[in-house]
Order: sequence, then C-alpha cells, then structure tokens
Amino acid sequence: MSYVTIENINKSFNDQQVLHNLNLAFEEGEFVTLLGPSGCGKSTLLRILAGLTTPEAGIIKIDGKDVTNVKPKDRKVGMVFQSYALFPNMTVEENIAFGLKMQKMNKEVIAKKVSRMIELVELKGKEKAYPRELSGGQQQRVALARSLVTEPKVLLLDEPLSALDAQIRKNLQKLLRSLQQELNMTTVLVTHDQEEAMAVSDRIYILNAGHIAQEGKPHDIYTRPANEFVARFIGNYNVLTKKQISLLIKDESQFTHDLYAVRPEAFGSEFIMDGYKISGKVQNIMPLGNITRYEIVSGGVAVTVEHLHKSYEKLQENELKTLYINKEDVIPLT
Amino acid sequence: MKRINGMLFVSIIPFFILIALFLFIPLFSMIYASFQGDGGTGFTFNQYAEIFQNFYYHQAFKNSIMISLLSSLIAMVMAIFAAYSITLFSKNIQDRILIFANLTSNFAGIPLAFAFIVLLGNSGLFTLLFRAWGWETLSSFNLYSWSGLILIYVYFQLPLAVMLLYPVYQGVQAGWKEAASLLGASSLQFWVRIGAPVMLPSVAGTFSILFANAMGAYASAYALTGSTYNLVTIRVGALTTGDIFARPELGSALAVLLGLTLIIAMFINEWLTRKVRRDLL
Repeated sequence: MSYVTIENINKSFNDQQVLHNLNLAFEEGEFVTLLGPSGCGKSTLLRILAGLTTPEAGIIKIDGKDVTNVKPKDRKVGMVFQSYALFPNMTVEENIAFGLKMQKMNKEVIAKKVSRMIELVELKGKEKAYPRELSGGQQQRVALARSLVTEPKVLLLDEPLSALDAQIRKNLQKLLRSLQQELNMTTVLVTHDQEEAMAVSDRIYILNAGHIAQEGKPHDIYTRPANEFVARFIGNYNVLTKKQISLLIKDESQFTHDLYAVRPEAFGSEFIMDGYKISGKVQNIMPLGNITRYEIVSGGVAVTVEHLHKSYEKLQENELKTLYINKEDVIPLT
Repeated sequence: MKRINGMLFVSIIPFFILIALFLFIPLFSMIYASFQGDGGTGFTFNQYAEIFQNFYYHQAFKNSIMISLLSSLIAMVMAIFAAYSITLFSKNIQDRILIFANLTSNFAGIPLAFAFIVLLGNSGLFTLLFRAWGWETLSSFNLYSWSGLILIYVYFQLPLAVMLLYPVYQGVQAGWKEAASLLGASSLQFWVRIGAPVMLPSVAGTFSILFANAMGAYASAYALTGSTYNLVTIRVGALTTGDIFARPELGSALAVLLGLTLIIAMFINEWLTRKVRRDLL
C-alpha cells in the first residue's frame, strides 16, 4: 500500500467541476510533481491534501490513516506557498521555530533544530533578520525551513519557485532536491513549469482540466507522451496529423493513427538504417544559445528541428537539407 | 514635458491657496492670538498662565480626555469584532454594510444629538415606551448625563472605527492563517501571535484618529448638554462666541493646548506601537 493515497476525489467551485474522480498514490520518500497549465486543478488538489479545501467526495490517506476529515493542523503535512506566507512580525529564527513552539517543544531542542535547519537552507547570519529584509529567494528558503523543521509526513510545495528569477530558481531546485533526498521526505510539488518538474521529480502527474492526462517517470513522459495534450504541453513537440506526416515522409502506408508527435531534437543529419528520411527547405533559423532551432518545410508541411549549436555548421535560409529520424521517434498519439 | 509640469503646477495652486487660507493662516493667527493679552494688548504668557492655574480648565481637559479615551476604547473594541464579522460576509453584502457605515459615520453634530433626544430624551420615543412596558432601569436612563454623552460619542465613533479597521483585516493574508494552521496553531494562537501584532500599527493609528475625532467634537455635545458640561471644545466655543463675555485670546490658548494634547497622544501611540512591533524599527 502506498504512503499517500488519494481516492476518487471530486471538487466543484460554483457548479464548475474542477477535479474529476482523481486517483493518485505516492510512495514514502518519493518526489512527485503535479504538472499542468493554470486552472487545471493542481493547486486545488494540493490544498485538499493539506486540508485547506474540502473535497465533495473521496478519501485521503496518509501513512495508512484516513485524514479526509482531519483538520490541517493535525495532518502532519508541511506546506510552502508561492507567496512564502512568512509571518512579517517574526524574525527568520522565530518563523522557523513557530511550528515547534506550537508543539510545545523544549526550548533547547527548538534552538538546536532551528539552527540546524538554518544551516541546511544556507541562511547562517540571517537568524535575526525580518522577512522584509530578505530577498525573494531567501524568504522562500525560510518558508522551506519552517515547513521542514516540524518533520512533516508529507511536504507540499505550491508553485514555490515561480515568483523567483531564473538563476535563483535553478539554485533552489537543486537545494530542494538535495534536501528532499537527504531527509527522505515524501514531497508533492505543484508547478506549471515542465522543465522544473523534469529536473526534480521521481514521478510526474500531468493534469488537464481536472483529469490526469498522463502519469510516469520524467523520462517516460518526455519520450512517450500519451496524448496530444501532453505532447503539446511537454517541450516543443511537433504534433502532426496523419496527412501531414504522410506528406512529410512520403509514405502513407506506415501511418494509421490520426495524430503523431515528433520531438524537435529527434531529427539528425546522419543516415539511419531502417529510419525515415525527410528532405526540405531550411527556414526561420533561430540561434538559441547552445541550441539552434529551425524549420524544415517539405510537401507544404513545416516541422521544428533542434540540434546543438556547432560553429562550423553554418545553416542558410532556404538551403536544401536531408534529415533522418528513427521510426520509434514518430510517436502515435491517442 | 516642461509645459505639462507647468500646467500641473497651475492646477495645484488653488489647493495651496485653500491650504493656506483654511489651515496655515487660522493656525498661525490662533497661535499668535494665544500669546496676546485680552483685546490683543501685546505679547504675554498670561492666557497660558491662567489656564494652568484655573481648576475649571483643568477639569475641561480632564473631561475631554476621559470622554475621548473612553468612547474611543469602547468603539475600538466593538469595531474590532464588527469589522471582522463584516469580512465574513460575501463581497456584495460587505459593500452594502460599508456604505451604511459611511452614512452613519457622517451623521454627527446637531442632527445626531436631536435624533438621540427624540428617541431617548426625557420625552423620547423609547423612554416613553420603556416606561409604558415598566422597564424602569432603561426608562430612567438620563441622556443628558455623562453616560448619555458617551453613548452619543460611541455612536459617531463606531462607524468610523469600522470603516478604518475593515481594510486592516484585508491586510491579514489568508496565507498566514493557512501556514499557521498547518504548523499546528489554533485560530486563537494565530490571532494572538500573528494577526494582532500585524494589525497593531493600524489599530493604534485608528485609535489616534478616534481620539482626535472625539477631542475635537463640539456640536453634538453642545446640542445635548448646552454649555453645562465642561469640555475643552465647549469652553473654546464659549470664549470665542462670547457666551458670557468673549475672550478669543484665552480661547486660542486653550485650542493650542488641545492641539498639543493630540500631538502628544499621537507620539505616545507611535512609541508604544514600535515597542511592540520590533520589526518596524
């Protein structure tokens, strides 16, 4: 039996159903991400898990115990909010100690735990600072420490990094993942950033309009999108109709599904035995730093191609180019 | 760009003129007059000396400060709960209640005193009703007394306090409550440790405004009790309009001291707030 199970959860707001009979399960120590566009219901699901929102139907179990009707304060879950939600009238130290004080823990034990946590989130020297004196990244680290210090059974992260700039976000992703592994903390992250989800998760649930669109390991989800929604949401997949792919590859007999997905980096210049061949004009070249992106237009169909930037390989607009692709990289969608 | 700035400057001139005419000139002439002898006979501290030596004026200040503190405190405590209750209604109802509060907070002065006299005066509607029902305790309530005065003060202070405190509750983020509850705090623990300290500066600021509002109130008290009740504003009014005989210079000195009382009250308030909220230092 899984450590956390969510069974048949339904939720509506103003007669609009936002979660449709969802079933999810997380193992102990697992880092799971709920990934999806805004309004897909991922934050609502997280809040239901925390006990901050009540579902209309369904059961939530944590560590074998039914917590569906248990108050948030008795669920032993920690949560980090997008807005940090630090208490403005308390110092870093006091914010982190708050949960332990509520548990009426011994003062010396609190001091020890708080100082260890401050070290873990790399905030030494900022103990006496107030939230308004900290940067966004530092505030989010305090929020993380405040949740972790109470050693919750499950740590919930509601888009914790989306208000931060790219560099700080990357650093915090690393910190988050290493802390989670060090403490073996069952963690559920909500994000709309697929790169972030890929970087930190053991497993990803992709949500679309209150349904689970796909579930799996990051690599499997990336390489094997199950449907059009996932293919379009993850990366820059080329989603092509049967007619388009037949025109592009000039072989109608091979394609029986209505839709196919092809990753832009799956195309290569080297000949592939038993693969497909595409010849067309190069258009819309975009140098994106380490990657060069362009389109190949063949039979009136344009596909996006990406490859690592090579300074000796100069591409020209409208030049004729032949590319190859493995058959298994043309993924049929349901 | 320069031309626009010039236009902006021209448009703001009437504002400066109004400020000068209705704030600075009266203020300076009041301060100037307070240092003049009766009838404007040269510079003197006599007016202040008289105020400090005369028990009657001490009592006026004591009464004014007492009624202001008491009515502000009562209104404040009631408003803390009332404003919180309002936040629990739907947005639509909240807006309607605020319009009502706005309306009642502007209902002050002579009309308010008259309304109270009609309802609770010696032959007031409710007084007669209570008497008819045999509710002696209520029917013997004397509107023209200290408690009557406090009732009227609370009546015009309460809606103002509600209107000033309502947005303060909006400043208490839902995320703080949720974070606190997930960390094991009860609702009471949240309000004691986070909600109240966060709201404190605004609550203290509101208290200052209520105190000033009550200290400066004149018409309601005058209409209700005439000049029988000894308040600073009523004394200033009597001295400047010549209730017995006009002594505007003494009235000015009283008014200057009234202003100073408010400034001192504001500083005490500020100092206390900063002592409690160390993060604001």
